[in-house]
Formats: sequence, C-alpha cells, structure tokens
Amino acid sequence: MKNKFLPFVFLALALIYPLLLTSPFQQRLGALILLYAIGASAWNIIGGYAGQVSVGHVMFFGCGAYGSLAAYAHFGWPPILGLSLGVAASIGIAALIGTPTLRLSGHYFSMATIAVAELLRLIVTNVEYLGGAVGLSGPVMPRTWLDLSFTSALPYYYLFLSTLLFILWLTWRMEKSRMGYYLRAIKDNERAARSLGVEAGRYKLYAFMMSAGLTSLAGGLYSIMFGFVDPESGLGMLTSVKMLIMAALGGAGLLFGPLVGAAILVPLEEISNTLLGGKGAGLTFMVYGAIIMIIARFYPGGMLKLIQSKLKYDKSGGKADVA
Amino acid sequence: MLLEARSVTKAFGAFKAVNDVSLTINKGEIIGLIGPNGAGKSTFFNCLTGDLMPTTGQVFFKGQDVTLMGPEQRARLGLARTFQVPLSFEGMSLVENVMIGAFLRTADPDEARAKSLKVLELTGLATLRDAPASSLGTPGRKRLEIARALATDPEILLLDEAMAGLTATEVRQAIELVRDIHRLGITLVIVEHIMEVIISLAEQVIVFHQGHEISRGSPQYVTQDTRVIEAYLGKRAAATAAKGFAGGKA
Repeated sequence: MKNKFLPFVFLALALIYPLLLTSPFQQRLGALILLYAIGASAWNIIGGYAGQVSVGHVMFFGCGAYGSLAAYAHFGWPPILGLSLGVAASIGIAALIGTPTLRLSGHYFSMATIAVAELLRLIVTNVEYLGGAVGLSGPVMPRTWLDLSFTSALPYYYLFLSTLLFILWLTWRMEKSRMGYYLRAIKDNERAARSLGVEAGRYKLYAFMMSAGLTSLAGGLYSIMFGFVDPESGLGMLTSVKMLIMAALGGAGLLFGPLVGAAILVPLEEISNTLLGGKGAGLTFMVYGAIIMIIARFYPGGMLKLIQSKLKYDKSGGKADVA
Repeated sequence: MLLEARSVTKAFGAFKAVNDVSLTINKGEIIGLIGPNGAGKSTFFNCLTGDLMPTTGQVFFKGQDVTLMGPEQRARLGLARTFQVPLSFEGMSLVENVMIGAFLRTADPDEARAKSLKVLELTGLATLRDAPASSLGTPGRKRLEIARALATDPEILLLDEAMAGLTATEVRQAIELVRDIHRLGITLVIVEHIMEVIISLAEQVIVFHQGHEISRGSPQYVTQDTRVIEAYLGKRAAATAAKGFAGGKA
C-alpha cells in the first residue's frame, strides 16, 4: 500500500502483455498464471485471511470443472452455465464441511478438507455419469460464442484477467470491511477475538463458503479452456497443494500475494515440464515439498511480505514502549 | 442485580477447581476476587466470562441465564474481560486492536476507528495508535487489553490480574485508570494478587482457597480474617500476624 499507483501500473502491464508477447507459448503461459492466481486468490480468503489452512481446495475446483462439463455433456448447456451449478455445489459442500470442523481449533479442519477431497475424487472416479476414470469433454467446436471455445489463448487470457480482477476487488472490499478485520483477529488470536464478541465460527464459515465458490470459478475456467476434465486434473491433490503454495510463497493474507506466487511458480513449472517432459511429473511434488519447507522455515510471511518489510525497514527501526 | 453465579462448580476430572461458589454483583459495584495461587479464582472468573462452562450451577447476566453462552454472546450482552497474559492481536496496530472491540456495536470501519481513538485517548495510548501491538511492553499490553474491552461498550468489565507484572508506579497509574472506568458507570470484577490494589479499589472482596469461598466482606474485614491469613501464610503465621496484616503484599 506504499504506492497507490503501483497496482494500476501492473494492471496496464497485464492488459498489454499478450499484445507484446504474442507467441502461443507466451500467451498460454500468461493465461495459466492468471488461472492459478484465481485459484490461489480464492484459497487466500480462508487460508490466508482467516488462517484456516484448507488442503482439499481441489474439491471446489472440481465442482466448477465437473459442473461446467457435466451440464454440457448431459443437457447440452454452455459450460459457463453449468459452472453456476458448480459454484452452488461448492458453497453447499463448504457449508457442510465447515459447520462442524471450523468450530474446532488445530488441524481438524485441514485434515477434514484432505479427507473429503480424496473421498470426492474416489467417488467421481466410480460414477459413470461424471465420466468415471476417463473424464468428461467439452464442446469440440463452439456452437455459439457462449461455449467460450477458442483456438487461441488470447481470449482466455482476458477472460481470466477479468475474473481475477473481480476476485481481487471482492477480496479488497472484504479486507476493508468488518469481516476483514474480524478474520485477521481470528487468525491472530481466536480466544481474544471471541471475548470481544467476534462470532469466530460464523465468520470462518462465511470466509470458507466465499473461498469455495470463487475457487470453483478457477475449476470451471480450467475445464472451459482445456475442454476436458478427469479425476486427476479436476480433483487431484496436487492442485490443492498448488493453490496453497502459490498463496504462501507470494504472501498468504495479502491481496496480491497469490498472484505473485503464481507468477513465480507457473513459469517454473511450465519450463520444467518442457525440459523434463513426462519424466518430471514426480519431480514437481519434490520441488513443492522443498518450497513448503523453505517458506515455513525462512519466510513465513511470503515474498511480498519480505519485500514490504525490506522497504519499511528504513522508516521504523526501534521498538516503541509504553510506561 | 447485574451478574449472578448460583452454586457454580467446575470439575476437571475428579478435581473440583471451583466448589459451589455463589456470587451476586450489583450495578456500579467493584468486586475483588483474591486467593493464593491455584485457589480457583481464575477458573471461577472464566466461568463468568464464558471461556469455561461450569460443571454444575448457573450464571445469570441481566436476569438472563447465560450458563451455556459462549464469550462472544456474553460480550454482545455487555460483558467484557481482559486476559491475565495479554492476548494482543500481534499483527495489528493498536487502533486496529481496539477496533475489533468497537466493531461489536457498528459495522462501519470509520465509526469503529473514531470510537477506538477515543478509547485510546482514555487509556493513555493515543500517541501510539499506529504502532504495532507487538512493539508494546507488558504495561502497554495490559492497557491495550482494557482499551479493547472498553470499546465493546460493556456494562461490566472483568479484569484478570490487570496489574500483575507492573512496577509500583505503573500499578498506581493502572489503579487511576480503573477508577476512571468505574466513574463511567461500568461495574467491575477484579481478580488480583496484589493486596494494595484490592484494598484501594474493591468494596467487597471474596477470598478463594482450594476451590471454596473462605471469606467475604470489605477489604478491611477479609484481611483481618484468620482463615484468610491461614490460607496465605499457614496456621502459625495466622496466630502471630493476625493483628496488622492489612496493607502487606499477598
């Protein structure tokens, strides 16, 4: 918040990026960064702001991805219309999981999210209606523009950018409101917050439902862009981990943290995939494990926090004390 | 009658930390809860605030049975507390800490901020309003606890050893602050180790020992009570020191 114009400079850069870097690889990379930034920013609401670490967020991603393509496959709806069903399902599932688990402190919430996500993956793998292990496909040829099926990554880039801006705007509004203050207080010290009248369980649940609904947007947009979803891509644990790591690396609980994390990790992943091909799949997990350890040990605030504190260091040095 | 506890017992397994304690507090009173370490006063205190549920017995606030209500619901009704070990929101500035309390009565951040600045003024923290809470020392944190609680517009404020760890000068300043708060019409329950504090503030004192109430009355009365001296210093001391104990440090 040092410079009010800085976000607008970045917005301008984001708007002209695909016009300057026009190769399909570069445009696809830009779109992917934005897509993951959407997921990680949505995760950030419950994981970063409220401090409740969900490790099963892929279930909401999956709701969006499957909702979009299942509605197409069975009713012939444009995927974007099916996405609304996915968003509704996500919010419902979040309410079901959150109501019992967010009351508990400690790791119950994280454990429950992993368990439900894996359960959902196993169920979907065995449900023919949802394509089973093979998965579902979207429209091969666009029937109307509403199908949002394009050959170039450029339209997706702008679609994702506007979705991300919408999420960031919503998050920013929340951050400045009573709810934003309450979530920070809950994250900092739930017992103290409750003593001041903060209904911690209720606000955590709101944050979780909001986060879940927005995460399913990322899933829906993913399936619309790739025209395909299967249990691994739509409900695999790696996607949950990616959302978490990108937010944590960039700065959990900071508005632009997840975007910074995605801008660092997505290119790394794309490059390593290109260099290592299919052999690199296992390596990704190892790299993510290493990143988690490094962040947790050295930069618990994330990269953005690190940069901010470096900038601030000159201004306020010593400790204030009260007599 | 503002706050009432009816034969509250809190057991942890077979151990009764609080055993059948009753209490009534009227509007405008200052009540002190004292007792040696492990006497059960903090456990009883937490049953009043909703941090603990009594095993048996009931708690009433403004005539309403609040026994099963959590601290957040009691705060809404007008009951506020501080913590013995300050639980500041470390990642926030002082004014933001206080705003969390102020938000109980308004959803508007500007209104909450304006009210918080007034409370910081009252508690003598106004100059540090934008400093991070993590930069405060113990006295500042204790004041911040009180400021946060005041911002919720309480009718009754429960202070859990708000003066522990302060120097003599700081204790005198803190006593002044508590008097100011009382003058605002806020009823007070004070858990305190320091006799000087209780004597100068409380109108009625309840003494705890091993989970039971062993004495109750004016500070002058309880400090003369042999059962109290026994509980603090042992039987022999009670016999020899019975005459002039008041004023000493517990």
